[in-house]
This record gives sequence, C-alpha cells and structure tokens, in this order.
Amino acid sequence: MHSVTAIVVAHDGARWLQETLTAVRRQSRPLDLIVGVDNGSRDGSGQMLAEALGSGNVLNLSRSAGFGDAVHEVLRRLPPAQPRQAGGAEWVWLLHDDCAPDAHALEALLWAADLNPDAAILGPKLCDWLDRRVLLEIGVTVSRSGIRDTGLEPREYDQGQHDGDGFLDVLSVSTAGMLIRREVWDELSGLDPELPLFRDDLDLCWRARAAGHRVLNVTAAVAWHAEASTRRRRRISASNDHPRRLDRRNALLVIMANLPFLALMRSIVRNIVGSAFRTVLFLVAKQPANALDEIAALGSVLGKPGRLRRARKRRRKDRKSGYAAVARLLTPSGATLRRLADMVQGFIAGAGPVDSAGRHHASAGASDEEDGEELLSDSGLVQRMFTSPGVLLCAALLAVALAAERSLLFGGLLGGGSLVPVTGGASDLWRLYTENHHVTGLGSDTWTPPYVAILAAVSTLFLGKTWLAVSVLLLGCVPLAGFSAYTATKKMIPYVPARIWLAATYALLPVATGAVAAGRLGTAVVFALLPVYAALATRIVAGSRRAAWGFGLLLTVGTAFVPLLYVLVAVLGGLAAVSFAGVRRGVGVALAIGLGTPVLLLFPWLAQLVTDPGRILLESGLHDVALSDPRLGAESILLLSPGGPGMPPVWVTGGLIAVALTALLLRRHQMVVAIGWGVMVFGVLVAIVVGRVTVDGVAAWPGVPLAFAATGLLVAAAHPARRIAEFAAKGGLRRLGGLLIVVVAFATPLAAAGLWIKGGADGPLQRGVRDPMPVLAAVGTGKGQATLVLRSDHGVVGYTLLRGRAPLIGESDLPASPDASSRLGAAVAGLASGRGGSYARVLLADGVQFVTVPRPVDPGLSRTLDSEPTLERVSLSANGGLWRMVQPAAVRPPAAGDSTHRLWLWAQATILVVVLILASPGARSAEGEDEYVEVPVEEPRGRRRAGGDRVPV
Amino acid sequence: MKSLIENRFGLLALVLVALGALYGVAYGTRPAAQADTPPRPVRAPMESVTAVCPAAGGSTLSVVTPPAGQTRDQGEGGGGAVVAPLQQPADAAQDATKPNTGKQAKAKKAAGEPVSLQRTGVLWQQAMTAGTGAVSVAASGPMAAGLEGSQTARLESGSQRGLASTRCVEPGADAWFVGPGPAAATMTLYVANADEAPADIQIMIYSGEGLVLNDRGSGLVLKPGENRTVNLRDLAPSPLVMAVQVSTSGGRVAAAVKAVLGKGKGVDWLPVAAPPAKQVVVPGIPGTAGLRELYVTAPGGQDTVVQVKAVLKDGSYALKNKETVEVPAGSTTTFDLSTGIGGQPAALLLTSDIPIVAGLKITGTGMSQDVAFTAGAPSIDLGTVVADNRVERGVSSRLVLSAPFSGATVKVQLLPKQGTPPDPVEVKVPAARTKEINLKAPPGGDGRFAVFVQPEPGSGPVYGGRAIVEDLRSGQMITTQPFAPATIWALVPPTADSPSVVLP
Repeated sequence: MHSVTAIVVAHDGARWLQETLTAVRRQSRPLDLIVGVDNGSRDGSGQMLAEALGSGNVLNLSRSAGFGDAVHEVLRRLPPAQPRQAGGAEWVWLLHDDCAPDAHALEALLWAADLNPDAAILGPKLCDWLDRRVLLEIGVTVSRSGIRDTGLEPREYDQGQHDGDGFLDVLSVSTAGMLIRREVWDELSGLDPELPLFRDDLDLCWRARAAGHRVLNVTAAVAWHAEASTRRRRRISASNDHPRRLDRRNALLVIMANLPFLALMRSIVRNIVGSAFRTVLFLVAKQPANALDEIAALGSVLGKPGRLRRARKRRRKDRKSGYAAVARLLTPSGATLRRLADMVQGFIAGAGPVDSAGRHHASAGASDEEDGEELLSDSGLVQRMFTSPGVLLCAALLAVALAAERSLLFGGLLGGGSLVPVTGGASDLWRLYTENHHVTGLGSDTWTPPYVAILAAVSTLFLGKTWLAVSVLLLGCVPLAGFSAYTATKKMIPYVPARIWLAATYALLPVATGAVAAGRLGTAVVFALLPVYAALATRIVAGSRRAAWGFGLLLTVGTAFVPLLYVLVAVLGGLAAVSFAGVRRGVGVALAIGLGTPVLLLFPWLAQLVTDPGRILLESGLHDVALSDPRLGAESILLLSPGGPGMPPVWVTGGLIAVALTALLLRRHQMVVAIGWGVMVFGVLVAIVVGRVTVDGVAAWPGVPLAFAATGLLVAAAHPARRIAEFAAKGGLRRLGGLLIVVVAFATPLAAAGLWIKGGADGPLQRGVRDPMPVLAAVGTGKGQATLVLRSDHGVVGYTLLRGRAPLIGESDLPASPDASSRLGAAVAGLASGRGGSYARVLLADGVQFVTVPRPVDPGLSRTLDSEPTLERVSLSANGGLWRMVQPAAVRPPAAGDSTHRLWLWAQATILVVVLILASPGARSAEGEDEYVEVPVEEPRGRRRAGGDRVPV
Repeated sequence: MKSLIENRFGLLALVLVALGALYGVAYGTRPAAQADTPPRPVRAPMESVTAVCPAAGGSTLSVVTPPAGQTRDQGEGGGGAVVAPLQQPADAAQDATKPNTGKQAKAKKAAGEPVSLQRTGVLWQQAMTAGTGAVSVAASGPMAAGLEGSQTARLESGSQRGLASTRCVEPGADAWFVGPGPAAATMTLYVANADEAPADIQIMIYSGEGLVLNDRGSGLVLKPGENRTVNLRDLAPSPLVMAVQVSTSGGRVAAAVKAVLGKGKGVDWLPVAAPPAKQVVVPGIPGTAGLRELYVTAPGGQDTVVQVKAVLKDGSYALKNKETVEVPAGSTTTFDLSTGIGGQPAALLLTSDIPIVAGLKITGTGMSQDVAFTAGAPSIDLGTVVADNRVERGVSSRLVLSAPFSGATVKVQLLPKQGTPPDPVEVKVPAARTKEINLKAPPGGDGRFAVFVQPEPGSGPVYGGRAIVEDLRSGQMITTQPFAPATIWALVPPTADSPSVVLP
C-alpha cells in the first residue's frame, strides 16, 4: 500500500490557496498526511493553512526560503523513509499554493506509478488556472541552450490530443503536483537549494533520469496552475533578481551543471553566441530590460566558476553514464534554429522577439493582422505580384524610366550636371566621412557633409559599389518615387485608382525628370522620400512617438542632401504645432522629436551651414550656372516646372492643376483639399523666393519646394476622387463630367511619360564621362602630390586640384581655407596668362606635379602651358593635354589629428543607433500580462502591478 | 465671411486669388535679362621672358625693352636682362673647373661673357664675333615686359651676300616655317633648348608633293642648354618649296631656319609663320620692286582652295586672275604675285576652309639679288617692338602697316641707343588699307634705333612688318620681318575654383 504525504508550500498565495487546499482535501485517493509550509507570507496564507490543516501540520519558514528549502525542511522532520515494500512505497506529493489538482489527480498518478514500477517521479498534466482548457505543460524538456520547451503551441487547448496511454515519458515535470518517491528524493538529495526558484524541477528530474529512474507525465491526472511567480502575480522573495533573469540564470546553471564535460564545452560556446544574438535582438526590439537580463544571466553563470564547479561536483555521479538517457529527451538541435528564425520573423512582423515556446505563459501577442490588402490575399506570391496594382504601377514606371534613360544605363562613368563622375567605392566614402583632415584639393578641415555617410551606407548595401548605389538612387528616382507615393498614401487615399494616378503623376513630375537630367542626387533622394514624410506626418499629428522618430531619421537623410527641406518642414511643422498641439496629446513632443532629431544628428555640419546661409538653398553636388534658370517664368513656377535641363513643356502639368481646381468645387472633404492647396501655395511661394536667389553666382534650383507644392496639390486632387466613381454611377451629364475629369487627370502622367521617353533623360548627365584624372598623371603622382585640372570655358579658366585620383562624391562640397584658395587662384591665373614669373613655384609648393587640360583643349591655353619653362609637356591631343612640372613637387606633411572629430563621430553613431531602435517596429505587447484577465471570482482588481519593463508602443 | 466659406465657389475663388497673387509676385520679381558679359581678361606685365637668337656669330645683336609706360605700376625693382651664349649646364660646370682647356674653351671665350642690361627704353647693340652660337636673352622683372631681340647680318660679298635678320624667338612647342626647299636653297634649321628639361623634337616637312616621309628619323632630343643645326637637305633633298613644322612632344624648342639661295641669289632667315588657321594675314610686304612669291601649305588631309586678297594702299581686293590658289592636301604650293603687288606696300589676306600656313618671298632688284621672307603673322593687339632699324645713307627702314578689317590708329615711338627718345607719332591706317612709313632716324644717334608700335584703344586688328632696304650698286639688299606681338603684356584670364571642371 502506498503512503502519500502532500506538501503544500505557500508564499503570498492567498488568492489561490483556498482553492488549492480544497482541491487537495477533496482527492478521491485520500492523502495520508498533508503538511503546509508558509514561507513568510504577508497576506494571511499561513493562517489559511493553519485553519485548513491544523496548526500542527503547518511549518513557518522565513520569507527568503525557497521551495526546495521548504520541502527539505518538512521531510527532515518527518520520520525517516521506510524501505520499499512489495506493492507500496512512500510518496511525497509537492504542491504549490497556486496549483489546484483535479479530484482524481492523485489517483491517476498512483495508477501510473503502479503500472510503471521504475517510475520515480510523476507529474500531472498542467492546465491554465483561468482558462481551464488551455494546456500549460505535459512535461518539459530543455534545449542545449537552456531554453525551456513544452512542445505545445501557445494557448493550445487540451482536447486529449497529447494524452496517449495516460502517461508519457518526459525529461521533467513541474514541481507543481510532482509526485516523487521518498527514497529517490533522499537518494538524489532532493531539490537543489542553490536553485530556490525556477528550473529546480528540471534539475531534479534530470538527475533522476541520469540515475536510471523514469520520469512520467501522467496525462490522466490534471492540475490547474496559475504560475503566479513567473507571471509576476506575486513578488518573489527567495531572490532579489527579476524572475526572468533568475529563470535564465538557473536554466544555464542546470544545463551546465548536468552536461558531461565535452557537451559542456560546446554548450558554453553556443550559449555565448546565442545570448549575444538574443541580446542584440532584444535591444533592437527596444526591450533593454530583456537584453540586460539575458546578458546578466550568462555573466552570472560564467562569472562564478566556483559555484558551477561545486554544482558539477555534486552531480558527478551518473552524469556521464546517464547522459545518454537524458540526451534523447532534450530538444533536438534543429529546433533552436527554428525558434531563432521564428523570433526574427516575429520581430519583423512587429511582435517582438518574445520566444513564446520557452516562456511559462505560452501566450504570443495576438498580433492584429489588420490592413494590407496584399497580405490578406491567400493566392500565390506570383499571382499576388502580378495582380497588385502597386506592383504593376512600379513596373510601368520602371519601364518608362528605363526607356527614357536608355543612354544612361550602360557605359563608362556616370556623371555630369551636379554629379561628379562616380568613382571609388563605399570604403572611400567611409574614409572621406571619418577622416578629420581631407587631403582633397588644397586640403580642408571642415566637417564632411553627412550625405557622404548616407551614400556610403547605401553603397555598402550594394556591396560597396558606389556607382550602383548612385545609379539606383538617381536613375531609379522615378519608380522609387512612384512606389513610395503609392504605399505612403495608403491610409490617406484608400481609393486605389486615385492612388495609382497620384503615384504616377507624382513620379513623373518635371522635378523628377529635371533631377535626373541634371544629376541632382539630392533632389532625387528627397523626391522619393517626400511622400513618406507626408505619411509619417499624418501619424505624428495623431501623436505617434515611433512615427516621430522615423520621421526624424528620414528628415535627417533628406536634410543632409537638401538643407532647404528642413526649413520647409520646420515651417509646416510649426503651423501643425499651432493647430494640433492643443487638440491631441503628445503631438508637441512628437513634433519636437521629428524636428529635433536632424539637428542633433547633423549638428556640427548644420552649424557650419548656418554660418553661410546661402548654401542652405543649394543642394549636394556641383553647382553650375547652366543647371538652373534665374529668369524662370512665372507660369513655369505655377505649373511646377523648376527650370534647368530635362524640363518637359510647361503645359504637361496643366491637367493636374485643372483637376485640383475642380476638387475645390466639392463640398465634401473640403478640409483635406484646403490643406493640400495650402501646402501648394506655400511651396510655390518658397519656390519663387528660392528661384530668385543667386548664391555664389549660381541661381538656386526650386525643385524641392515645387515637389512639396506638388505633393499638396496631388493630395488635394486625389483625395475626393471616389466622388468620380459616384458620378459615373449616376449616369447622364455627371457621368460625362466624371469621364472628362479622368481623361484630363490621366493626361498629365501619360503626356509626361511620353515626352520623357521621346526626349530621353540625359541632359548634362551622361554615361561614359572620362575619368578626369589622366592615367599618366595618376601613375606619376606620389603621395601628397596633386594634379591641376584647367579648363578654359568662355574665357574663364576653371581649375581644381586632384590628389592622385578623381574626386569622390562630396569632396566638391569641402571648402578650402580662403587664404590657400586665393593663393592658388592667383597662381593659376598667372600660369594661364603665360607671363612667366614664380607662379609655377607657388603651385609646386602646393604639391602640383601635373597640369592637365581635358577635352576640348583650348589652343591658347595649351600654347601658354607649352611656353611655360617650368612645365614639360607629356602629351597633347584632341582628347586633352598633360604637362609635368620639371621639378618634383613639394609633399606636404599630413595634418595632425583632432580628437573632438573622432568623439563626435562616435557620439553621432550612438545617437543614430538609439534613434534607429526607437524608430524601428518593436513589440506590440511586451508581456502576456495585459491580456491576462484577473481572477473573476473572489479577488477584487487593483493588485495588478504595472510591468516595470513595458515599453510604450 | 461665413457665406464665403460655405459657398461652393468660395474656396475656389480664394485659391484663384492666391494663385493670381503668386503669379504677380513671380512675374514682378523676375530679373531683367542681362547681356551675358563674359568676364574680360586683365592685362598684366610679363614677369619673365626668354628668347633665343639662333646664330648670333657675325651678326649685330640688338636687344631692347620698351620704356615702362604709365600703366607700368607693378614693376619690381629687381630683375634685368641677361644676354649670354646658350650653354649646357654640364659645360658651364666644366668651365668652372677646367678653364682654358682645348678648343671648346676657346670657343666659349670667343662667345663672350654674359652682358647684363638694366635700362628699359634704350637699345643695346653689339656686334658678335664670328663663331658665337645661339645666344639666349633672358629677362625678369621690368626688363621682361616687351623684351625684344634680333640679329642682323650684313655681307656685301660671298655666297651669303645680303641682309639677313631674324627675331630672337621665344621657345615654344610648335613652330612653322614656309619657304624654298632644299633643292632650291641651302636650308639650315637651328634648334636650341634654353630650358631645364630635355626637348624631344620632331621635324615634319611638307613639300610640293606632300608630306615628306623619310627613314632617317626626323626626331632629335636636345639636352637642356643644347643647340644644334640640321641641314634640311638630309631630311628631304628634293623639295623646291616646303613648309617645316618643328614640334616637341616634350619640352620646348627655339627654332629658326636660314635660307641661303646661293651666290648672287641672296640670303635671309625665314620668319616663324602663324600656326595653321583658316584665315591668314601675310603682312609687311614693302613697296619695293621685285618678285613676290607666295607659299601656301595645307597641312591637313584635305585639298583646299585658298582665296587671296591683297590689302593695298588703295583698298583691299582680289587680284585679277589671281583670285585663288589650289593647294593639295598636305603639300606646299607657290604662287607668283609679282605682277599683282610688286612695287606696292601690301598685306595678303588668305582665307580657306581648312587651316593653312602661308609665307612670302620678296626678291630685291639688281645684278646681285637678295631675298627677304615674311609669313603669316598675328595682329599686334598689345603692341610690337622691332629691335633693329637702320637709317643711313642708302639704307632705309620702313614700317608697313595694314588694317585689313577696320580702321586703326597706331602710335609709333623710336627708341635710340642713347639720348632721350623723340615723342611718339600717331599714324592712322584706314580700314582695308596698307600704309608704308619711311622711318627717320632720331637726331643725334648713329641711325640705329628700335621701334615700338602700339595700337590705340578702339583700333581694329593691325598687322604689319618692317623692311630694311639698302641700295648698293651691285644690287638691292633687303630684309623684312613681320610684326610679332610684343611680350609686354600678358592677358590674365579670370579664373574660377570650380570642381565642375572634371566634367566635360
């Protein structure tokens, strides 16, 4: 005959204890002895135990005692174990205060024990306390990385699907409801007191398995468990650590203490790698507390080798010989990778890397799979792609762009207009950005424009090929803008045909074709980003913090290329602050984040820019008189045509204006239309101001303000477009009117595309630009020596200094010191005049070893250079001339480093990472806690504690 | 207000008003079209000049720098001109270590010591001893602005009887000469390298039959300071007429060609001809009697027909029956113009649809003839200096000034060897006319003086030349020299520090 002693350990569990005690006492197989242990409860649990069991059967321990301590204490006081009799054994049934067994639980457990005489530990099937059909555990196993694995789906219902023959062979069962043979307990010295909470059960069962006993989960027995400690329904007193960290630490400790030596070594390596990876994922998901716990747990295990050694010493017996029995029950190694993949996928889907399978509370954040008509379709990927209007639109725009840019696609270097011939790779750009003294030209100590870093980052994505990055950003500007306009307006304009029209019209605006023709990389980038700004701005005025970080980040990118953008956005942002800040909570903060991030990220460069305000109107790249029109006609500006090369006839956008004017007549949606027109008027006004300003002799190009204006106009025109469908449905004259509007509206993108293809996209921008650095000079110049490029154009001799290679993108935006450049200017003028004198010596002192005149060679200039005694001609042909200084040029010593520059770069990188994390999608719900409905019956609400590590979403 | 907002057309009206206002602002602020005035180059005085007189031995060397004008404000105190025989740096070093050894040292001694000149506006002349080779004239500072040198040889008998003069030429990468070929005269090319870098020289000869290709190799390398003579007969023995192009692929060369036609036929130097151009003016043809033979070369790969117009005292017109010359591709053609322009001061205006090079042979009258050569020349926008002019008994110096396109006024100033120079004289040349001026020696001198010619502001392009004619009983001796732009001023172009130059 069996004898069973039940031990109920309570710790602040009054909420559940009553029910637990009732359940224990109502067992169909009555218990021989019920002992209660109160670990210093403060909520009256001890009293409750005493009332139910009699004060003689209750043991009071200190608050810091763990579960293991409590059981040990009880068993120490009981009479010593009886030797095993035939047909009966002495059993100990361990129960938590929050674990209510079913009335037949003990009966079923003992039935299983009778069937399997070699079973030493048995556990019931655990189900959820509240939703009693939800399975929590049918035995638990663990992976070699210490991740707990129940083998159940999150929130899996119990329909008997795992029941089998009524019992299962498992690696371990929970201590909640664990029935263990007393002699085995004594043999294994019971629960390890080093593990006061969490994984003590795993450790015990592992040791039992290693010693040759069986561990069974008896599915015929059921217990309902509230998992109060892990779900932090109550404070843990046994340890000061956060339960999650404790859980992780104990898991690692158990794994490392029980694995044989070789497996331990492998486990250490995989745990270090795995923990680092998980930490990064947690960081990215903005769960810094999780990340800290993860890394702290590993550190605490590896940092105390003494404890690990002691634990291993205790387990030396049977560890190696019994490992084979344990190993087949561990989680297969493939599962770890799958879980990792799930985690990454979950993170991308916005769920946050909560590895639900390993958690006690198997509750994945119920991600609301709203929106996204593409996602809802369950047809195949191919079909989805070819029927999605967005994809079709992008394909059409791509085809239009490829046809128009036919002469720009293949060949040599891409350059012209604002774009220097694209040479070098990502590493060159990174070096240019990070170096504190630029050797380019005459040398410069100024801050590198941050767009160099952005371009370097994009180039890095394109495997270090800057030419590819520039080609995609610049030549792909039209399809990219179409794509971003289509996707960004999804919330604003749900009517798909209107969105298609909007995206196509936007992508083919004269600003886009002009930016491509003139090689304006900055405008191309901003043009593609503008719809995203608009979309994020609508979320900012709704008060979204994350959208604000994202907006700030993208605004930083745009501002780095076109500083004027920031001014435009700041003015509109100010207006928005005035109108919305009072209306919705958090708008002011969100706006401040959005507008403050660029200032913070671009700080020293922006400060430098503000000292020379004219440059705010210019964008990245070269500034040439021929690229903009200071006498831009009034009708051009009003028709959104910014002038310069690559402009279609001004009437192309007439249809757009007409449709937008018609939209004003509608009574519905008047607010949106009015805001759109307001943005248009504002943009055009800025465009007029910008277009009339001349900076350093070059007229500023009003492309970005006009793109701004166009965005407003397009929204005003497209937003009420659903009305057209209503008109069409009404028939008659209205139908005709609707048709007319559609024809006029679609005339704009179609005409723009046709004219663009017909005229070709190339303006000053062209393929096959010669490398400005002659090969002979590149070979002949030593380190620190330079080549002077002279080009006579309409009587003006333009010059620049090249240091051993063609200039990189961004180097043209680095000003030299005024002294040095005026000295060089005078020397070049003297050299080009042919008046003799010491000008050549000045050039020599600046390191000039070669003088080159690229095609077309001005005969006067080449004659002058020929007649200069200090120059020796190397070659002269129609393709250009090259002269070498007779004497070797001075090599200037490199400038000393500057530590503030390096400091700032680190600071900038840190800020960027923080902003990136704040802007990236994080976990929608941090823990399962919120969904957890309170105990419906007796307990009042209000004891809920707000989670300390919750992240505002 | 409320009715405006609630009216269906209220918003439209508002927007239209706003758009109208924007249109007005944009229209009103549109800047006026301004004429595209390219920035003009600035004149600046030359700071250093080097010229090489190809073979000074037996000639009179004349060197002059015109007086500093009122615009000379930035002349520095230092500098000066140095006239010294051209020698290689190695020889100079040898000189220092081993004086008076061997023949070479003797030659050096004969060449004379360097002469330093410091005064502007004063002509310096010296008869060089025979055997002197190339002489370099180098100046920096105030003496550089307009430095002009020339060498003139005069022999009354022998195979080289006649007046032979040439400018001391600035080294360059390219020089053209047009004249008789080695079959008609002994043609000697003098090349010198006055620089610190070696010069790699190619010689191309365009004969009447086309470009002369030879297998002897027409290239040579001159070490710094080296000068050499090349008998062109070795390169091309057969041409009767030819054009010679001396070009360098590295370094610079000062080149000159001397033509010795033989006893009783005359001698002179070929002036450097203007590089190939579609319009060439051959100026400085004096009004003496004698033969005039035009040489035209078309160096390209294309035949051409050259229109010939004479700019004479009474106007500019095509000569009857001599309107055009046909020039086959890559060859040189002669064209006799004696009946057209003989006896009148003239300039020739040649136009063609491909670039051409042109020169002219002038033959003096008498039993023993002498020749002189002129060639295509640029206009003298910034003035010109002629270093050597002589007016003596039986010797006259004339300036031939032509203004083929529009009228011009030039200021002519004589610079004597000593004494104060006389006041400048203004000469008006009407459009499409040529004017010949007989120079009068300034009083008190020995009849040797330099001439400084400067166009007045507002003048059209002026071309010209100077001729020295000496009438001897045995026959007229003559030499001419087309005006070369003076090296007083350099045009400093406006410059722009612009990274855009890396783009085409």
